Amino acid sequence: MSLRVLNPNAEVLNKSAALHMNINAAKGLQDVLKSNLGPKGTIKMLVGGAGDIKLTKDGNTLLKEMQIQNPTAIMIARTAVAQDDISGDGTTTTVIFIGELMKQSERYIDEGMHPRVLVDGFEIAKRATLQFLEKFKTPVVMGDEPDKEILKMVARTTVRTKLYEALADQLTNILVDAVLCIRKPEEAIDLFMVEIMHMRHKFDVDTRLVEGLVLDHGSRHPDMKRRAENCYILTCNVSLEYEKSEINSGFFYSNAEQREAMVVAERRQVDEKVKKIIELKRKVCSDNDSNFVIINQKGIDPPSLDMLAREGIIALRRAKRRNMERLVLACGGEAVNSVDDLTPESLGWAGLVYEHVLGEEKYTFVENVKNPLSCTILIKGPNDHTIAQIKDAVRDGLRAVKNTIEDESVVLGAGAFEVAARQHLMNEVKKTVEGRAQLGVEAFADALLVVPKTLAENSGLDTQDVIIALKGEHDRGNIVGLNLNTGEPIDPQMEGIFDNYSVKRQIINSGPVIASQLLLVDEVIRAGRNMRKPT
Amino acid sequence: MKEIVTIQVGDYANYVGSHFWNFQDELIGLAGDPQADSVFKNQDINMDVLYRTGEIQQGIDTYTPRLVSINMRGSLGSMSSHGTLYKEAATTTSDVLTWTGGVSTQASEPHKKNLFLQSLYEEENFNMVNTIGGSNSGSPSEYQNKDITEGLEKGVQYWTDYSKVHFHPKSLYELNGGWTDVEDFDNYGIGRDSFDWASQGEEVSERLRFFVEECDHIQGFQFVVDDSGGFSAVAAEFLENIVDEYSNIPVMLYAVRGPGTRASRQSRKRTILEELHDAISFSRLSPYCKLIVPVGLPSLGKASKFLHIEDEKHYHSSAVYAAALHSISLPFRLVPVGPTKDACSASGAVDFHGLIQILSGQGRQNMVSVLDVAMPTPALTGGQNELSLLGNLQSLTPHIAEDVEDIQAIEHLTVHGAFASVEGRRASVCEVKDTVDAAFQRANTRPLFYHLSVGLCPLPIPLPFPSIFGNQVGKHGEMMSSKLTNSSSKGSLDVHSIPMAARLRSTSAVLPLLESKLQNLHRYGITRGAAGAELLRSWGFDKEELNEMQETLSKMVATLCPPQLSSDSD
Repeated sequence: MSLRVLNPNAEVLNKSAALHMNINAAKGLQDVLKSNLGPKGTIKMLVGGAGDIKLTKDGNTLLKEMQIQNPTAIMIARTAVAQDDISGDGTTTTVIFIGELMKQSERYIDEGMHPRVLVDGFEIAKRATLQFLEKFKTPVVMGDEPDKEILKMVARTTVRTKLYEALADQLTNILVDAVLCIRKPEEAIDLFMVEIMHMRHKFDVDTRLVEGLVLDHGSRHPDMKRRAENCYILTCNVSLEYEKSEINSGFFYSNAEQREAMVVAERRQVDEKVKKIIELKRKVCSDNDSNFVIINQKGIDPPSLDMLAREGIIALRRAKRRNMERLVLACGGEAVNSVDDLTPESLGWAGLVYEHVLGEEKYTFVENVKNPLSCTILIKGPNDHTIAQIKDAVRDGLRAVKNTIEDESVVLGAGAFEVAARQHLMNEVKKTVEGRAQLGVEAFADALLVVPKTLAENSGLDTQDVIIALKGEHDRGNIVGLNLNTGEPIDPQMEGIFDNYSVKRQIINSGPVIASQLLLVDEVIRAGRNMRKPT
Repeated sequence: MKEIVTIQVGDYANYVGSHFWNFQDELIGLAGDPQADSVFKNQDINMDVLYRTGEIQQGIDTYTPRLVSINMRGSLGSMSSHGTLYKEAATTTSDVLTWTGGVSTQASEPHKKNLFLQSLYEEENFNMVNTIGGSNSGSPSEYQNKDITEGLEKGVQYWTDYSKVHFHPKSLYELNGGWTDVEDFDNYGIGRDSFDWASQGEEVSERLRFFVEECDHIQGFQFVVDDSGGFSAVAAEFLENIVDEYSNIPVMLYAVRGPGTRASRQSRKRTILEELHDAISFSRLSPYCKLIVPVGLPSLGKASKFLHIEDEKHYHSSAVYAAALHSISLPFRLVPVGPTKDACSASGAVDFHGLIQILSGQGRQNMVSVLDVAMPTPALTGGQNELSLLGNLQSLTPHIAEDVEDIQAIEHLTVHGAFASVEGRRASVCEVKDTVDAAFQRANTRPLFYHLSVGLCPLPIPLPFPSIFGNQVGKHGEMMSSKLTNSSSKGSLDVHSIPMAARLRSTSAVLPLLESKLQNLHRYGITRGAAGAELLRSWGFDKEELNEMQETLSKMVATLCPPQLSSDSD
């Protein structure tokens, strides 16, 4: 209450009111995201005030779209989004797990238990669960030739929660191939080397993997070829544009002739650069079968384009910075920063370069490359929100494949891990804990069950039946998950349902931390800013 | 042709931009309208500099601004961020193609279109054939124009409420607030925190790249930023990237803010926050551009005696700034006159590079310019006011010294659509030139150098322009001598066009503005035990960065100070 003396305008919520505010916020957020979880969850369609549509089944996207005001909810949401940043998936699970931890705690707190005791129990349970996870995970040997099947299963598990089955299965192959394409031995996987390009065209099932690169622009000269085979690719960052000399250069001229002369001289500089490129082209394309393509990060102005077009060279300007890197990885050669560095060795090669025009949008495909280390996932769909949703799913899927390769292990899915961990906590760990902290372990163990429970609920199954059946199987020593169609226990290994190890570990790690922090809050003070804003 | 790409960042910048594009749209419409005044016909203005030609998938041509606009989510009102032109062919929006399971829809309350937008919409349906780039206020409409303008006067909530321009779907970008209250988005730190370059910045720069890639020979970026809040951090990040990516393309930066964004009576803590924000955002933004023009008076009430502006309405004040921006940008778009054609309707074409060279390239290399405007411009000769054209220019840049004698000042003046006399005869280009030359000759303080651009075409007043003209302003913006007692202000229904003059000045008059920023940064941020040191740390600035900023600012001050003083201020 001393705060009241200092600032009479401060609003104070104390003890149980503060705690319940936190618990309610966590439960509220859980309710919003709950129906998203799993392959039977509902998709959310958000319609904005101006009629803009956004489709999402991704917890991360949904959280970012929501205008969250409640400070507790914001805290949870931040954790969940951080979860996505770190591991690429598991946002929804984090939110519902935190919500469930709070909900389970509420029961005990209402019976007069001190939150501190629960938090201690959480800590013990968390450590035990992480240890259990180490034992429970299924190691996968990656080596030089990773097991494609297991990667596909992980990707499929993720993508099937975002897209309908047929499309998900199609994407699964694309995702695994894409990641394996960019994978270099002894190096971390850089997912940026997979370009994700979209076209509003045809149908979602026309989505495909392009081994090579798709650029979202085309040549800007009417005489340049729209299709060329056997192409040398020059990746460069050289301005082929007439530019006035630097502003502060202090160039002065005293009459019109001098000015003319300067303009001519400056123009000539550009022409020289173009000529050097043409020279190289003539050198490498002496036979008539090959073609020459320039992809430049800087601009190319019409006179330069003219010169290049006359030589039969295809030129693209203002390429994405990142595409410079991708092009080199896809086609070989190196990015050239000055025309003085031009050598035939710096050129890349592609079997086919062609342009595709959709209305005002042009796409250039660089395909049939040798040993690509960069590729493009070309997403197609009839409208923007469909494309956006597939894009989200592709991102998650790529992360899942990458995680698997880096973790060198997977975790059985379909709720199998959660049930197993719960049984482990209740049957083994609880006994080793003394005193009331046992209850914290119990709350944690029950909270883990929220995953299979929610999966069952979203599939229209009876949650109690399902949980009892699962627990029973586990007690008999069978590791089983939930079949969402029948409600029967299944073996996830047989069905190929695998989750990422790092995602699970991250959830177990971060969930209890936030829940503990929220539980230990005993006073909420809103002060500082004057709410009556001057207008 | 030398293209300009415009970038608008922040709410107020978009208010200004919305008016700006309305003017452009009106000009395009009038040029194609057989009933319009002949002065709009042969303007020698190349609209392609600001606009791009495109084509939607159905094969219909489009003409849209080369614009990237950044906004807070929800600030677009009833306008879709995809614009209105590039609609999807089939409107099968209701079925979800990617999910076979359940769908739950969460629809927000649709924003109601105001009368003006409704009338635009109906007009469009009425003649689907020439929807693009046209503005024909004369076409049949069941809405009374009077009702429309009154409606706008009463309630403009979003900048889109009075916009009549079609935007490209890549133009409007909405920023996710990152769960901050919109009202809290008012300082550099929060802007810096909530702008995530990896996801949002990439997307924005991709959109910019789309517009730049199309340009054969881009002359520069016209960057308008609302620097009163968190958007200056967003803009600074964006600018840094632009300078990095397009190193040789000059950026001209207008730092605009609405009147009354800084309340007078408030806590000391708040004052420090605001002063620091202003200092930081200025010194973070200025290194990335070639010319910075701070715009935004605390109150526009006295900006012109011919205008009645209600400060609390952004809709009003932004119109004045937009008009000034339009005038300043006019010389960039004038078609350079070939040797065969005599300069009948325009003279003084200059490009971005040229203008920057004039203002900041020579002599002192001062990159901070003052924006002045005379809206509407009085006739060249005669009339009840004895003030010359130059005397009528009012500054729109805050905190500048009045009546400074600066022999090294450099000015760039644009006059368009001026009248020769009170009777309302349009002055020819030569007349304007001669008058201005004479005025400069007569003036007590003459700039070192001035550049004059003259156009014949006045500023057209589009229908959604606010009613801010005093009653002495006539239909074509002429000054009427008879003072009517009726004091209601006139809007677009009574005034169809006005002559305009705007000026950029590179002068030491801007010193107080720079000095106060330098002082505030030093006093609140850098000195030992400064009141705002903690705050700056929370915004993520360390000592070194702050010292660097201080140095940048003091250099700017030093260039403007007379040489004997400059050694002291270092």
